[in-house]
Amino acid sequence: MKQLTTFLRKELLYTIRTGRLLILTILFILFGVMSPAIAKLTPWLMEMMSDSLAETGIMITEMEVNALTSWTQFYKNIPIALIVFILMFSNIMTQEYQRGTLILIVTKGMKHSAIVIAKGIVLCFLWTAGYWLAFAITYWYNAYFWNNSIASNIGFSAASFYLLGLWLLSLILLFSVVFTSYSNVLLASGGCFLTVYLLGLFPKLENYLPVKLLQCTNLLFEGSSRPDYYYAVGITLVLCVVNITASILAFNRRTRLKAASQ
Amino acid sequence: MDMLTLSHVSKAFGEHTVIDDLSFSVAEHSVFGFIGRNGAGKTTTINMILGLLRQDAGEIWVNQEPVHYGQTTTNRYVGYLPDVPEFYDFMTPKEYLSLCGDITGMQKAQKNNRITELLELVGLDGINKHIHGFSRGMKQRLGIAQALLNQPLLLICDEPTSALDPLGRKEFLDILSDARQYTTIIFSTHILSDVERICDEIALLNNGKIALCGTLDEIKGLHQGSCLEIVFDSDRDAAAFQGIFPATKQLSDVRLSFDKTTKTDMLHMMQYLAEHHIQIQRMELLEATLEELFMEVISE
Repeated sequence: MKQLTTFLRKELLYTIRTGRLLILTILFILFGVMSPAIAKLTPWLMEMMSDSLAETGIMITEMEVNALTSWTQFYKNIPIALIVFILMFSNIMTQEYQRGTLILIVTKGMKHSAIVIAKGIVLCFLWTAGYWLAFAITYWYNAYFWNNSIASNIGFSAASFYLLGLWLLSLILLFSVVFTSYSNVLLASGGCFLTVYLLGLFPKLENYLPVKLLQCTNLLFEGSSRPDYYYAVGITLVLCVVNITASILAFNRRTRLKAASQ
Repeated sequence: MDMLTLSHVSKAFGEHTVIDDLSFSVAEHSVFGFIGRNGAGKTTTINMILGLLRQDAGEIWVNQEPVHYGQTTTNRYVGYLPDVPEFYDFMTPKEYLSLCGDITGMQKAQKNNRITELLELVGLDGINKHIHGFSRGMKQRLGIAQALLNQPLLLICDEPTSALDPLGRKEFLDILSDARQYTTIIFSTHILSDVERICDEIALLNNGKIALCGTLDEIKGLHQGSCLEIVFDSDRDAAAFQGIFPATKQLSDVRLSFDKTTKTDMLHMMQYLAEHHIQIQRMELLEATLEELFMEVISE
């Protein structure tokens, strides 16, 4: 346990001292503000452009903007934040292999499992804090400008996308244990996502795959039912647990802790 | 008591056998020089001792306990310094040592005392900048500090001096000499002058096998005879002397060299010189250096 907390402290120190925590905070605040800002500014932008658009024959009628517009925008933007997050943290293990920093730590008697668990906790913590920060900011602005009650299932749909993020991060962790290079981790995780995405195009499979959670925006509107998502949520949770367990088991077996060493 | 024992250890990478039936042991409180040219299998052997590599055959014991591949418990007796130690460079040396102390489960007070003591020993006390800005020499000194942190029974240094300049090397060897009081040291290197300076015993690894093993004196004694060099006053004397004692090499008109000469041979020559009133400038019996032995063994 002491090894785990020690390594966690080291990981947090790393995210703070390398400026990653600051970048993440700015990133998620930006994404939190962006959705209501875009929703708020759209009518004004349209009005500005209406004259030039009128010349091309497009008529702008009165636009109605509400909390739903802002939430829809949120789910359009937040995948970009997730991609940036993944790009920033895909090297969480591989940079240790590339530099050989784990050699001294492991030969001091550090348990392999503690290393993976600490890395997993840090990924999970940063994603959780960042994502819900962005969500809270959007929620607050939406409540301030409009009324959130117009959207249904706000919490459930937010949790769905959050879970999708966790699944992708668990894939990153797993492939970080298997591969030594950053690009391989990204390729394998991307490949995995693409495969699941393509499988999701089959209507029979759609409801049972993590990619179903990408459609969580639909839940905001009346008419969509939550139970449609329950299988996907359950299966994604199971997959997360499987990935994390596999990461721990695989890393326990891993002895090549430095890239390109004999 | 032996601190480290390797018994019939073998390791191959694919078709290529790197270590072939290797057996040796290291006595407690000795400084053991593990020498061999690059690629001889020194690092592979060390990685097996640390449980970072699985041997194909044989057994390894550290402090009488068997080493298991993977997360071996014997590492609690071991301090390890790789050739180029890599640290978390966003930390200060003190923070890094503290991290290492916490991993090994040291008590807080003991850990802090030991860190202060070691930073002073390696000359890094008062340096509060991040490791990022450290020179090679400073990193190596921090490396030795982390290796000695939990007062290991066995200190393994893998080519620790190869990346250092002469001053850095001297400082490093001085620290190692001090550490020998309380630990057993295995020192892998291809720099033979370092071995001659601090090692009690050496093992020369060649083609995955121990080619030579023993104390420094024993090994030098294995080399039969030394090289004798005589510098004459005149080339005429040198030529006449060559007629009686054929030289192995004529280094110049007046300078002759005789290989594999014993002290008795030398006395015979001196007697001949005195009897025939041949004047010389200098006569010197050159002892075989470790380097010559090294070259001899690896060229066989």
